[in-house]
Amino acid sequence: MIKLLIEKELKNIILSPKFAATFLVCSILILTSVYIGVQEYHTAVAQYEANQQIARQDIAQATNWGSVRNQVHRKPNPMQVFVSGLHFDVGRVSRISDFQDVKLTRSPYSDETLFALFRFIDLTFIVQVVLSLFAILFTYDAINGERENGTLKLAFANSVSRASYLISKFVGVWIGLIIPLLIPILIALLITMLMGVPISGGDWASVSSFIGLSVLYITFFIGVGLLVSSITRKSSLSFLLLLVIWIGGVLILPRMSVMASGQLVEVESIAQLEAKQEAYQKERWDEYSSTISETWRKRSREMEGMEDAERQAYRDEKEWDWLEEDDAARKQIQIDITDNNRKLIEETMNQKKLQERVAFSLARISPASSFRLAAMNIAGTDIDMKSRYEESMRDYRDKFTEFTQKKQAESGSRGGFSINVDSDSGVKIDFGRDDQTLDTSEMPQYSAPVLTAGATLSKSVLDFGLLGIFIILTFAGTFISFLRYDMR
Amino acid sequence: MFKLIFIKELKEILQSSRFTISFAVCSILIILSFFMGAQNYLSGKAQYEAAKQENYNQIAANTEWISVNHSIMLPPQPLMALVTGISNDIGRDIEVKGRGELSAQNTRFNDEPIFAIFRFMDLEFIFGVILSLFAIIFAYDAINGEKVSGTLKLCFSNSISRASFIAGKLAGSFVGLSIALIIPLLIGCALLPVLGVNLSGDEWLRLGLILLSGLAYFGLFLALTVGISAMTNKPSTSFLIGLVVWIFAVLITPRASVLISGRMVEVPNVDEITSEKNRYRFQLFADDRPKMADFSVPEGTEPQQVMQEFSKFMNQLSDERAKKTEIFEEKINEQYINKRRQQERLALALSRISPTSVFSLATTELAGTSLGLQNRYMDSAQDYQQVYNNFMTEKTGTGGMSGFRMIISTNDDSGEEPETIDASELPEFQFQTATLSTAASKSIFDLGLLILFNIVFFGGAFLAFLKYDLR
Repeated sequence: MIKLLIEKELKNIILSPKFAATFLVCSILILTSVYIGVQEYHTAVAQYEANQQIARQDIAQATNWGSVRNQVHRKPNPMQVFVSGLHFDVGRVSRISDFQDVKLTRSPYSDETLFALFRFIDLTFIVQVVLSLFAILFTYDAINGERENGTLKLAFANSVSRASYLISKFVGVWIGLIIPLLIPILIALLITMLMGVPISGGDWASVSSFIGLSVLYITFFIGVGLLVSSITRKSSLSFLLLLVIWIGGVLILPRMSVMASGQLVEVESIAQLEAKQEAYQKERWDEYSSTISETWRKRSREMEGMEDAERQAYRDEKEWDWLEEDDAARKQIQIDITDNNRKLIEETMNQKKLQERVAFSLARISPASSFRLAAMNIAGTDIDMKSRYEESMRDYRDKFTEFTQKKQAESGSRGGFSINVDSDSGVKIDFGRDDQTLDTSEMPQYSAPVLTAGATLSKSVLDFGLLGIFIILTFAGTFISFLRYDMR
Repeated sequence: MFKLIFIKELKEILQSSRFTISFAVCSILIILSFFMGAQNYLSGKAQYEAAKQENYNQIAANTEWISVNHSIMLPPQPLMALVTGISNDIGRDIEVKGRGELSAQNTRFNDEPIFAIFRFMDLEFIFGVILSLFAIIFAYDAINGEKVSGTLKLCFSNSISRASFIAGKLAGSFVGLSIALIIPLLIGCALLPVLGVNLSGDEWLRLGLILLSGLAYFGLFLALTVGISAMTNKPSTSFLIGLVVWIFAVLITPRASVLISGRMVEVPNVDEITSEKNRYRFQLFADDRPKMADFSVPEGTEPQQVMQEFSKFMNQLSDERAKKTEIFEEKINEQYINKRRQQERLALALSRISPTSVFSLATTELAGTSLGLQNRYMDSAQDYQQVYNNFMTEKTGTGGMSGFRMIISTNDDSGEEPETIDASELPEFQFQTATLSTAASKSIFDLGLLILFNIVFFGGAFLAFLKYDLR
């Protein structure tokens, strides 16, 4: 019996104009979005490669390790074709320098504001917003619509159990919606491969978990649709109720929760943080310049009363030690500044993490947020992408500065110039050497942080679980309310 | 007769459960968006003030004007929070050095990516995406629904002209639904001063225009859907057609047009330009190195004197370099900016096929958050840089701080702390906000287009109904 019912339901749906329109709209949307995504990805890759090239050229042009301008770039991720996440909002380049902390700047949207005006629509948006709306359109009259037509009574004039009727309804609608979702996605995947986007083994795992996630999300909305349809008598009422749920869940709750957490947890702005960093930096350097002049005065006092020749000898003997001493003091200040910067950043980061936790916990009341967060985690375009990159860039900065310092010590030049004031010999200005050609082959290379499929999955397991629970709840609710449904 | 139909339609809408629920949802959405916008503005302002204070303290701790590092920030505006436009995507902080190219850093979404995940719910989003969908839901069965339920035939058994019927229908539904929008909009407006957001007269007028264009946009979708309903026989068909139109207008056309213009007009890579500028600067410095190495003073000059000579010499060199760099940068920027403008113009022209883009462009222009915001901010910063340069020249004798900075301090062993500077002397940065007259003149074309779309769709619905098979 159940097979017959499913068959009837499927035929009903597949032959309906609703199905044709959904299929059409989904195909257009999914294929356009993936096509645009692939184009964007290729542009990003071309830009990334050009930038790598430029960075290499810039380094090669330098004549001194002290004056090397090094910068590293965020690498485009093939998964951003499907889940752009924060790719367009987070900076994509950072200077790597002794004097400056790592900071991702120049987001793709800030460079090309035209693209920010009409934002890019990815597959996640289509599933989250458009397909969930379709799921409602498919289900709002699933039960009460049949009652209004009188077909519900007719169906139950046969020996059909309520459970099998409900199951067949669900299976029919589910297949009717999943086909318009899956077929265009599969075609889109094919296009993605044909257009030369490198999808590796790990990416395939991500793609399949993304598809699984989308199916779960749609299933949830089918469940909600059936539930509302089985607790209301009129299809017009259930449609409006569902629309309210959809707007609340998809559009309002996620934004509200972020706003609320912004109010609950205060986080300093970057401008504020930077001003603090700068103030500390200035304080330390002022301190340095006063101690260094004090030290030199002490040194000249030591030489007071000496004969000229004696003084010269003393000087020659001590000069190297003095320079080393001064250099060590200077380095210490630099280390202190770096440490303080990191401490300040860490404090802000901790506040930010807290804000995120509050926002996401609140947002997860809505499965639409769970879906989006999980999709971003799977794709690696999530909120941690920025800190992940900045951390790996900081590690690289340490390696790079260590390397350049070693190189400078080896060649004995520091870049820039030094001024020597002596009451006897007057002022000497030394511009150092600038005739070196740098051998960049030994220079440490930056490599982007790698996310394993396991790590991304473990981050999204909570959201998968939540979606599962939501689905079970809606189905249990539907089942119970349908058992008591008045068929007349 | 028109009056009768109008009143019937109005009553029917106001008494339906569809209206009650949509009214509730619209009210919640609109009021929430005002509330969140206001909160957003207030927290942005608090952050702005705090950062400004921090910058001020940092400056005030200096003992020499020459060692000042000064940054300016984009001040938040109330309308920016209500129609965000690109305001979260452009850099907000600019370090002013007195000379040289300015670059704005720290976009809101880069600093606080948490807000970028779900983005903000501003008026542009509510009208552009949600209320347009509501218009379709309301009107998809306006004509064919009456036909299916048989009331259309009954209606026309009286002496009613088709023209007055469709006019009454359109006017009735527009007025009925506008009430559902105007009430929460007014509440939202009233909420602003209550929450502590004070708008100037100019801003109120701009907000008024934004809301009016929102209503015009809503009306346009309403008329379009009634038109579709008058061309189809079944409500389900008209709903699906409406939905497809909505998806194309709201989701596809704007993005596709940007993509197409991106393909058609090649804009040089920004990074390449930056690197070219850097390389030029590097080259200039390398050229100056031999000159620097040749620096000499007559034997026996006082060290103090030598340092001053040296500082003057270096500043002169860096001045020359800065002049050359400015000329070079101007040339290279001009080409880039021209290409970019061309790309923008093409994209915007193409996107105007969709009423949603027209609406977005009009409202962001009125709110001052359109593409022009970035230029306006940079222009203001450029003007300020000149003022700052003059100020610094007066204070330190050298304004162009981009090249060489040397502080010579002689210690007199007196043990006294040197006095700090008076940071309040620093000229204040004034951001050139969009005014009603400029915003209105820039958005007039789009506002006109919105009205034109309205006329075309109302006319279309009218004509379609005149030919409609009533049976």
